Formats: sequence, structure tokens, C-alpha cells
Amino acid sequence: MDLFSLTIILFLIMDPIGNISSFLKLLHELPQRQRNKIILREMTIALIAMIIFNFIGEAIFNVLKISEITLRLTSGVILFLVGIKILFPAIDSPRANLSLEEGEPFVTPLAIPLVAGPSLLGIIMLFSHLETNYFIVPAAIVIAWTLSLMILLSGKHLQRILTDNGLKAAERLMGMVLILIAIQTTFDGLHHFILSCR
Amino acid sequence: MEILSLALTFFIVANPIGNSPTILSLLRHYPFERQRIIMFRESVISLLIALFFLFFGEMFLNALHISRYSLVLTGGIVLFLLALKMIFHSSGPAEADQTKQEPFIVPIATPMISGAGLMTVIMVNAAAEHNNIKIFFAILIAWIGVTGVLVTSPYIQKLIGRNGMAALEQIMGMILGLISMNMIVDALRLFVQTQ
Repeated sequence: MDLFSLTIILFLIMDPIGNISSFLKLLHELPQRQRNKIILREMTIALIAMIIFNFIGEAIFNVLKISEITLRLTSGVILFLVGIKILFPAIDSPRANLSLEEGEPFVTPLAIPLVAGPSLLGIIMLFSHLETNYFIVPAAIVIAWTLSLMILLSGKHLQRILTDNGLKAAERLMGMVLILIAIQTTFDGLHHFILSCR
Repeated sequence: MEILSLALTFFIVANPIGNSPTILSLLRHYPFERQRIIMFRESVISLLIALFFLFFGEMFLNALHISRYSLVLTGGIVLFLLALKMIFHSSGPAEADQTKQEPFIVPIATPMISGAGLMTVIMVNAAAEHNNIKIFFAILIAWIGVTGVLVTSPYIQKLIGRNGMAALEQIMGMILGLISMNMIVDALRLFVQTQ
């Protein structure tokens, strides 16, 4: 995969447009400056988690000697389930069950799991092992993260321009794209499997 | 495919007959005339969404290296999930939004009429036909039918009653299930042939 597709996939799983509403719901009482500061802090924590899992992925999968076929099939299935969840939102998702506690949120639920959820960290681990180039996955992470950060920082304006319905529509389209990528990845895995059987 | 059978496919996937009971229950607090205006506006928006996907859908598929069989399989799976939902549908307006706001784009125009299924079907057929003008007219024909059903659905409900509408939705679900399974088989065949 090239840098462009990796960036798109990571951006879609981070789902910044879908996260705007959760961020605003948790931070709506705070003034603009403080809100931006918290968004920046939470996103930095998410970035650190992603980079750490990138290196953990390298190490773990080298020890376990997992084949490329397995990695492709696994990431395809995970991406598919993430996409289905975006298209058909479940009632028990972390986004639907935001606890509106007093005080500002720290690490949970904004950084983890809303931005850097288990599926994102898992996919990063898989990709970091799949790619032979050491720098391509971290580069994709940083680009996708920067895009998400910009979207989240301008969340209030985006919400006003697009309205809640517009955001919802954008999110559905992103879920669709994610499912497409997931099925392509699964088929790539099957293709390699068939080749290896011959 | 012929232009009429394309139009029929789009019409079935857009599923105005199955969707209209839900849409009607969303709009039941509005007066009859207002209901028809909302229906018409939403169907215009859904046409715009469908046309956008007809002309620009190809672009990001090329950008993301997505091949033909993945596109067909995605359509098949999403439609099959939709068909299951339609056949084993738990009736009742419980899922309707409780907000007082008038429904706009979501949920009527985009997830219901021009949903993920219709977008994929349009892109699949646009990729298969290489003739956007034909698809364009097929979409227009289907859209006339969809708009017709939506605008007259307040009458339809009076005519066949709630139970009739529920039965119709299940029949549409069965047809959609067959179409989607056909797409899944086609996709698998395409994949095997490329090996």
C-alpha cells in the first residue's frame, strides 16, 4: 500500500467527523481557548499511543512469525466491522454512552477509545509489520492525525456550516469507503493465500 | 442491462414503498400538504446525491486502488444486510427521531432513499456500462417513480392500510435479498476469474 491509501485508512478509522459531536458534547461548557487546549492535549496523547503501538506491532509480529496473508485477512475483517459500526451505529458503542462527569476529561474517553480505539491501534500494529519501509506508517499516522486535529479544532464551525445532519451524512460516506477498503484488503489476503497454495 | 431494468433496480434499491411507512411515521405530526412538500424536497436531495455518485464515484475508487469485485461485493453485502433488516423488521415508530426538528437530508434522503446500497449499485452499474448518459436517464426514470410513490404515499397508506404496507416491505426485502446474493456470487466469480 502507498502512503496515500494508508493515510486515508487511518483517517477514516480515527473518524474525526463522527467524533466532533462527542468532543463538543463533553467540552461545550468550556471557553474556546481552553477547549482547544484540551483537544490538542487529548490528540497528542492519542498520537503517542499510536506511535507506541506502531513499534510494539513490529516487535510482536516478528516474534510470533505471523504471515502476510494472516495480517491482510485480519486487517480486512477488522476494517469491515469498523465500517459496519459506522454505517449502522450500535446502541452500546462508547460514543452513545458518554458519561457526562464533572470536570474536564483526561485520556478517557476522548483520546482513548474515541480517537485511538482498539481497532485503530490493532490496524496500526498490523500495518507496521506489513510495510517493509519503516517510515511509511509513522508518516501516514502523522498526516492523518494532523488532518483529524484540524477538523476537531474547527469542529464548532464545521457543525454550524454543515449542521448535525451534514456531519452525519459525511460520516456515513466515510463508513462506506472504509467497507470498500476492508473488502479489498480481505480479497488481497485471499489472493496471496491462493498464490501460496500453488 | 436495458435502461428500464436499470431504472427498476434503482427503484427497488431506493425502496420508496418499503420506506414510506417509516417516513410517514416521521412526518405524521405535519399537515398533509407539508408532508408532500417535505417528501418532494427529500427526493430532490436524494437525486443530487445519486448523481454525485454517478459522476465522481469512480474517482476515489481509482485513488484507493479498489477493484471491480470489491465494489460488487461491498454492494452485495450492504444490500444483503439491508434486506435482512427489511424482512425481519420490527415495526413501530420507536426508531424515529424524537427531536421536534423537521427531518432534513438525514434520515429520509440519505440513509433511506439514496443509501449506501443505492450509491454502490449506481457505481457498480456505472463501472459496468461505461455509459453515464444511460445511467443518468435510468436514475431520472427511477427518481420519477420514487418521487411519485413518496408524494402519494399519504394516499397509499389510506388505501392499503398499515398491514398492507408491512407486507409490501417484506416482499421488497425478499427481492432485495435475491438481488444482493446475486451480486455476492458475481463478485466471487469475478475474483476467482482473476486468479
